[in-house]
Amino acid sequence: MGLESQLGDNIFTTTIDKFVNWGRKNSLWPMPFGTACCAIEMMATLASKFDLSRFGAEAIRFSPRQSDLLIVSGRISIKMMPVLKKIYDQMPDPKWVISMGACASTGGVFDTYTLVQGVDGFIPVDIYIPGCPPRPEDLIDAVIQIQRIVEQESVSPKRRRGAIAS
Amino acid sequence: MSEAQQPLAVQKVQEQYPDAILDVSDARGELTITVRKDVIYELMAFLKNDSELAYNFLADVTAVDYSLMEDVLMKYDYARFMVIYHLLSTEKKERLRVKVPVHEKALSIPSMTSIWKVANWLERETYDMFGITFEEHPDLRRILMPDDYEGHPLRKDYPLRGRGERETFNFEQQNA
Amino acid sequence: MHKDPDRVPGEPMTLNFGPQHPATHGTLRIVVELDGETVLKATPHLGYLHTGFEKLGEHQDYNQFIVVTDRMNYLSPLSNNFGYVLAVEKLLDIQVPKRCEYIRVILAELSRIADHMVWLGMGALDLGAFTVMLYGFEEREKLYSIFEKTTGARLTTSYTRVGGLMRDIYDGFEEDVRRFLNGFPKTLKEVHTLLTRNRIWMDRTKGVGVVSAEDAIDYGFTGPCLRASGVDWDLRKAEPYSSYEAFNFDVPIGANGDVYDRYLVRMEEMIQSGRIVRQALDNLPDGPINVDDYKISLPTKEDAYGNIEGLIHHFKIVMDGHGVQPPVGEVYCATEAPNGELGFYIVSDGSGKAYRIRIRPPSFIHFQAVPHMIEGGMVSDIVAVLGSLNIIAGELDR
Repeated sequence: MGLESQLGDNIFTTTIDKFVNWGRKNSLWPMPFGTACCAIEMMATLASKFDLSRFGAEAIRFSPRQSDLLIVSGRISIKMMPVLKKIYDQMPDPKWVISMGACASTGGVFDTYTLVQGVDGFIPVDIYIPGCPPRPEDLIDAVIQIQRIVEQESVSPKRRRGAIAS
Repeated sequence: MSEAQQPLAVQKVQEQYPDAILDVSDARGELTITVRKDVIYELMAFLKNDSELAYNFLADVTAVDYSLMEDVLMKYDYARFMVIYHLLSTEKKERLRVKVPVHEKALSIPSMTSIWKVANWLERETYDMFGITFEEHPDLRRILMPDDYEGHPLRKDYPLRGRGERETFNFEQQNA
Repeated sequence: MHKDPDRVPGEPMTLNFGPQHPATHGTLRIVVELDGETVLKATPHLGYLHTGFEKLGEHQDYNQFIVVTDRMNYLSPLSNNFGYVLAVEKLLDIQVPKRCEYIRVILAELSRIADHMVWLGMGALDLGAFTVMLYGFEEREKLYSIFEKTTGARLTTSYTRVGGLMRDIYDGFEEDVRRFLNGFPKTLKEVHTLLTRNRIWMDRTKGVGVVSAEDAIDYGFTGPCLRASGVDWDLRKAEPYSSYEAFNFDVPIGANGDVYDRYLVRMEEMIQSGRIVRQALDNLPDGPINVDDYKISLPTKEDAYGNIEGLIHHFKIVMDGHGVQPPVGEVYCATEAPNGELGFYIVSDGSGKAYRIRIRPPSFIHFQAVPHMIEGGMVSDIVAVLGSLNIIAGELDR
């Protein structure tokens, strides 16, 4: 349009979607729903060696109302599932969900009377991480995948992800 | 085994409670006595308080459903369950296993909570998993499974994958 | 409780703590009734992670269940593997070679250090000392890399087998472990300077969650929690298993049974574990790692993949009804896990699967005493007490 040439080097133009998504994806606030072994690997991911803060997602918030990324890590029993659902419902939109490890995704090796066989039957999951437990690198990879999903988002309700389905 | 060679715990129990012992075994260095249910409370208190035995530490309470082991059933007059106590004496460094047959028709046994505080939750777990009632237990509720759960998972007739509770569990009540 | 006569009595308030709370280390829930900041009554709820391990044990063969034991106390899986196979070996009445016993001891003691490191980090984090958690995890990462090189996995190791080990230690294991042993006391020293004489830490932990020696036995306490109350009881000394009688080590004992003593006992235990590992490395015997019984030990991977006899042998052991089949009987075997007495009670009906597996979990029993420890205290003491007990939800609910 030639407008940029008038603005000099200090001002860029972009779309509002791109600008908001750039902010969102680099400042994810995870809500760690850690129940079992995977939670220990999640802790290791946050600690110094792997350091999730390199990807802007180290601001762990244990209050669901302050977070936008739910990391379900560990086995979910039928007694725990209502709690998880309530926490998911309390999170403000837009929100994303990582199902970390075999147990959260499918029940894993525990095909028993008390274990929910995959949380995706009750809450929508964006990224599944295989492994029992997954390595910290896998969790970092999942966060990067979530960042890619965030890039596709839109601030306009019409173009928001899942708008067609609803 | 002649009378003289019996371990001290067995001798003393026999002296105090004749006919209470149904069976004694000493396999793999683990002394086990099987006793009748009607004296179990007094017997356990005796094992704890006797100064020569001093089984002051209750390590574990659990149960076994013997409904698939025919020979054990036959031996104890078709008592389906066996409540099992693991005792330990920190002073004498001795362990003792006490087994009590419990019939399905009279599915209860005295609680040991007033002797050892640790028995409280262990008995609750046994109740939850096997449905055995503990008489005079202060707080006999389910402990691991949800309150409205039906069935007792560790019984042998309960399937590993449950009876469909994984799909039909109560979503609302739990949040109270 | 309230000495101030002018204090206006108010309605008690009910506070729900957990099951999802940063200081619960998993999925515990305590409903506390408060009068101001004083805890009047506490009711623990559990079962939020109940997975059915004991039921699953009745449907898996003896070697398969090792995988399940990993996921019980996931801070120190090697100790669980160790305790479980000892129970099965007692049932089978077999004695593993000396080298195997020593390697198991080394790894169990290293995982005790790893367990206490997380406990230290998280316990301190709950009371506001963030740095200690990063220090603890740094040491733990070094152990993780040793475990990974030895067992193939960082966390879920499944390293022991009935009658032996999955494989021998790698070349250079000794150097790696010695390097760790030389390094980690420095971290502990740093933690001591950060916490032990720290005014805030002492105020938050001294005299909090006191359990007397009598109560500790009544409540079934074991491990560091029992010893912090002043009871000299360690299964490694009292009922030595797996060559523990060959090592020189001290058992630290506390005096007051409060959070501070539990902290000091665990700190010293790590040093003592280091001593045991050093002695085991010095005297590590040569020889086989598996029992010489083809009905129990799996062939090496080279044999299983390399020749038909090895393959048949492997198949025979793994196949249902042909592998490890202990005689009819029952056994209770207790080991000193990082949290206390970890017992396995196994009933065998002579088949390849256990008739009943009962796990005696230390965390379950420690958690029971929480109301006793926090009632009458302040609400902020709850996290200090929970942190000091090191309740692991996987072991609590199984």
